[in-house]
Amino acid sequence: MNDAFLPDVARLVNVSDETPDTKTFTLRFRDLKNGGDFHFLPGQFLELSVFGYGEAPFCIASSPTRPQTLETTVRRTGQLTDALHRLGNGEEVGIRGPFGNGFDVEVARGKDLLFVAGGIGLPPLRSLIWNVLDERSRFGKVTILYGARTPTDLVYKRELEEWGKRSDVELHVTVDAAQPGWTGKVGVVPSLFKKVTLHPESTLAYVCGPPIMIRIAVQDLLALGFKEEAVISTLERMMQCGIGKCNHCAIGHRYVCRDGPVFNYGQIRELVE
Amino acid sequence: MAFAIEKRAITKWLQMLLESGEVIAPVRGPCGDILFSTIHSPEQVAWNFQNPLPPPKQFVLPQTDPLVTIKRNGERYEVAPTYDDTRRILFNVRSCDAKGIAFLTRMYEMEPADASYLRRANNLTIISLACNIPCPLGFCVCTGSGPFLSDSYDVQLTDLGESYLVEVGSEKGEAVVSGVPNLFRPATEDEVSQRKRLETEAKNHFEQETCHFASAMRRISTGRVQDALWEKMSDWCLECGGCNMVCPTCYCFSVKDLGRDGTWIRCRMWDSCQYAAFTLEASGHNPRAHRKERMKRRFFHKVSAQYYQRDAMVGCVGCGRCIKVCLGATNMPAVVGAIRKGKWNE
Amino acid sequence: MTAVPTTCPFCSCGCGFYLLTSNGQLVGVAPSETHPVSSGKLCARGWSAHEAALWGERVRQPLRRRNGKPESVSWDEALDHIAGRLKALIGAGKPVGVLGSPRATNEENYLAGKLARAGLQTNNVDFSYHSICGPLFAGLEEVWGEHTPTASLCDIASSQAILLLEGNLAETHPRAASSVIKAVENGAHLVTIGFRSTQMARRSSLHLQTTPGNEREVINGVLAAILDQQSEDPTRVAARGEGYEALWQDVRSVKRTDELRQAAEWIARAERATFLLACSDGQGDQPREVAAAFATLAAITGHLDRPGSGLLPLLARSNVRGACDMGVIPERLPGYDPLDDERARQRLQNLWGKKLPLDRGWGAENLLQSVSGLIVVADDPPSVVPMGRRAMDAMAGIEFLVVLDAFVTPTVRIAHAVLPIASFAETEGTLTNMEGRVQKLRTATNPPGEARMGWRVLAELCARFDIGNSYTSATDVLCEIAQAAPRYAGIEQRLSEDGWGGALLEDFDSAKFVVRPAGATRGAALASAGRPHVLVRDVAFDWGRDPLVSFSPTLSRDYQSERKLFPNGFVEMCKGDADALNLGGGRHVRLASVHGDAVVPIRVRADLKPGVLSVPYAFRDQVASVLGTDSVTAVNVEPP
Repeated sequence: MNDAFLPDVARLVNVSDETPDTKTFTLRFRDLKNGGDFHFLPGQFLELSVFGYGEAPFCIASSPTRPQTLETTVRRTGQLTDALHRLGNGEEVGIRGPFGNGFDVEVARGKDLLFVAGGIGLPPLRSLIWNVLDERSRFGKVTILYGARTPTDLVYKRELEEWGKRSDVELHVTVDAAQPGWTGKVGVVPSLFKKVTLHPESTLAYVCGPPIMIRIAVQDLLALGFKEEAVISTLERMMQCGIGKCNHCAIGHRYVCRDGPVFNYGQIRELVE
Repeated sequence: MAFAIEKRAITKWLQMLLESGEVIAPVRGPCGDILFSTIHSPEQVAWNFQNPLPPPKQFVLPQTDPLVTIKRNGERYEVAPTYDDTRRILFNVRSCDAKGIAFLTRMYEMEPADASYLRRANNLTIISLACNIPCPLGFCVCTGSGPFLSDSYDVQLTDLGESYLVEVGSEKGEAVVSGVPNLFRPATEDEVSQRKRLETEAKNHFEQETCHFASAMRRISTGRVQDALWEKMSDWCLECGGCNMVCPTCYCFSVKDLGRDGTWIRCRMWDSCQYAAFTLEASGHNPRAHRKERMKRRFFHKVSAQYYQRDAMVGCVGCGRCIKVCLGATNMPAVVGAIRKGKWNE
Repeated sequence: MTAVPTTCPFCSCGCGFYLLTSNGQLVGVAPSETHPVSSGKLCARGWSAHEAALWGERVRQPLRRRNGKPESVSWDEALDHIAGRLKALIGAGKPVGVLGSPRATNEENYLAGKLARAGLQTNNVDFSYHSICGPLFAGLEEVWGEHTPTASLCDIASSQAILLLEGNLAETHPRAASSVIKAVENGAHLVTIGFRSTQMARRSSLHLQTTPGNEREVINGVLAAILDQQSEDPTRVAARGEGYEALWQDVRSVKRTDELRQAAEWIARAERATFLLACSDGQGDQPREVAAAFATLAAITGHLDRPGSGLLPLLARSNVRGACDMGVIPERLPGYDPLDDERARQRLQNLWGKKLPLDRGWGAENLLQSVSGLIVVADDPPSVVPMGRRAMDAMAGIEFLVVLDAFVTPTVRIAHAVLPIASFAETEGTLTNMEGRVQKLRTATNPPGEARMGWRVLAELCARFDIGNSYTSATDVLCEIAQAAPRYAGIEQRLSEDGWGGALLEDFDSAKFVVRPAGATRGAALASAGRPHVLVRDVAFDWGRDPLVSFSPTLSRDYQSERKLFPNGFVEMCKGDADALNLGGGRHVRLASVHGDAVVPIRVRADLKPGVLSVPYAFRDQVASVLGTDSVTAVNVEPP
């Protein structure tokens, strides 16, 4: 019988600043070797315990193709995330999971992939992006459209540079408002659609970010001819158990922690609030 | 194969049960309420009463339920699950409550399963007493959870006057009637047909106006309940959460760490989907900020076809407790009736 | 699992339930069908009543502040230290005082008052909520000579007419709201009076809309309409009281409307009518006058002493009535007798064996600003007194502040000495609800650490001030209360005879009453061309800061989130007003009154009328410059 509420203990092996209020934490299980037995799919999430403060769900931002590096990117928004941000290397946290359905990587093979992300919406997609890039030949064209409020708010700045330099990735980055020194594009993320050539019939689109951005991006994609099943997003809700029991994340009879957090737009439209 | 036991032998049976584990039965307390309590002697069991207002779900799903202990040991944290392996016998519960626990078990068995709950449920033996005379507020006949059960019990007793018919529904039930050959004997044909007759009579006790789930289920499942109706009904709700607390099939909870200074116990605690902050996110966004939305959610969970198909039973056992406990006027039959008629009687 | 019957510690409805414990630890709550008030029901607060004691930050050890840091000390050291410091202050001629609490038990409040008057020889004794509930009681006293209700909660559900002067009954007193709903379901005519379109107002047959500040106009209107009817049909006059004729004159010029006539008709025609009165805020005499006029309505329609009818004051906190009866009020002695009542003074002096001081004492807000030594029992004054944050500043200036509490409140954090007492779940004692029902608290579990029952701690403090006592239990204290407060005579016996351990205090002889109109019949219009809006301080109790809520994970969620999202508070206005202001992206406004101005965030509330802005009691500090010492003021509202 599985003690579903029992966390595994993990240690922070790296903490890096992404933005003034966002950090990426690299985790290693204390009692599992190199994360060896921890299998997960991109798009799944963890319930992370900051001992003494509680537990909260965070998406896995690293790819299963790199099991030694289990990462999550967290913005500081309240007591628990504040406490997490104050932890340093070697300190211990609790991990339960992985939870959720994750992205269906198999169905993406051979297709063109479009990633559309805004702000803190990039971390959940990053797990899939690296999965794809680590098995690059098995997928079609890869296009990444990413934006944030300001250049400071862009996450994974170093990786964005790396992706931008790759010849097998088309990357466009934009900001809502420029800052001194910014030479890139200015405008909302959906404005990037006109910069790329898309083939909706052979492309899967993954959209993640603030609700408004998702809404506009999805609208635009459907208008461009994407089918509802080909537009994929992740939903966020208040969660407690992560195992589909506490009912906090229930939307109709679907549970974001179990039937999601990954849903395609057709499924999202069917959800009964 | 049905057995029978003389009423005067019940005391002996209870004494045996008391030796085998914790026995929980309805007990009349000093203030006059009947509550499910741990008993220490057979005399404590109350027999003639309406169903206790608090259901017995506290014994498989405590209102504050320790799940995991967390201890800080210098730089290290040690975590361990808490175990409740107590063997319990729930004695003299009603059909609706036996069904209610069966429902909860189904919820917690669903993958991923919850070992903490299942440990208690697997160690719980349910001895229920069918209702010859249904309670005035109950509508179990509409939810397939009474007045007599055909499943979901370990042992079902039927009061035949001088004796009880004893139906064994599981291995656990087998275990509590075996080993005491002097107390139980095979039931006679008369007794078996008396039991069948009593069931028919009990069903006939229910009045015309019961709780018709079918049409309400259709409308709820297809989103055909007017928003204005939810709005109207929600204005007769006082958001006490009582319906969730006393409902045998409600199981919403929150998880919180209790403790300080390096030792914590992670606890599950009962919660209510009717509370405004139930879906409140850290960002401040609340997808169900309005009471009508929360009420709609509650009845979708209880009465929709989508859940019915998933759970193979409706999320209500017709015990009528929500009628007693509601501070407002929005109990199950009232809401289901309003949805059927398309309007709220004012 | 053990079930211990006890009384709800939250509001003044006084529901009963069982506290459930497992292995000595609180686990949950079970409802009671036999309890005379709750009858199987509970509100959200009741269902989570076990949480604060279990989850909250508790005071576990006696603490003494040394070099600015709190240190654990032994009970003896703490008590000796406290007695020593207070005696030194008294010896130096410095003023000292004691604050009781509307969430403390009768025994705790009684001993707090005894400590103050007999021990410290001062009448500087009050409780933080008194300035808000005092005027209501004063109004009732004006009319029928007592501060007591004349109806019970169970009368509401069987009423044919209900007149409700409220803030938001569904939130403040859900149990009472439940009875109102029942009555309405059974065809009762509900008439609500208020400036909000609350849930009860929506259930009403008639909502008499007020603007903050003009409640008494509306009540006078109902009075006038009733008097009209009574003059048209003398058989209708149910009861006359002293001043009836003069009342006629007072309301002669009041405008009668069809609505008022309808309300009067329903009330007069009802066999059983209940009058529900919330504590109102307001300048000067207004709250008292409103209460007196409301009580007059009940009296002249003959509903005072008719079975099933009467007036019920809606008090915010579980033991407001008890605190008043125990005399933790500067000008009242135990029994609610006036300070200078010779018979009362004699009674207490005989009982306590001490002469009582005669000089009037300070009320709570003055106390906080003026004393050098203060004992606070189970309260966090800045969250309750109107002066808000300034109370915290004032307390910081007190030379020696002692706090007795179960929970770590902001007041505990700044105290010089802290004594840990048991919470409601761990103590023995009684509470008196708004009906005048005295009910028991029973011990469900042990208090944490070295915390002790509050009555015991106060008894020990009394002993150190030469007030000998031989209390061995809370019951012993109650027996003494029965001698100190005549209305409580025999209460111990009556409680022990009741399964639940509750007893209603005796009703008074209501045959005689005095009628009172609600002050000047034409209140000066607050709003003007230059200041077309009014800003009102919503006097509804700030549950978010009460430790029984703030330490309950389930109950505190909404409040915590609200205070996180709005760290600078907010004012509420209707959508129309918000739209008309063209605020663009920002959601702040500048409010300007005759007192001053402030920039505050706004929030839209659907239940407010245009022109009315409301500030939740919790955020009164944010608009202190605008309100001044008023509770409602005219303002100009514009983008910041």
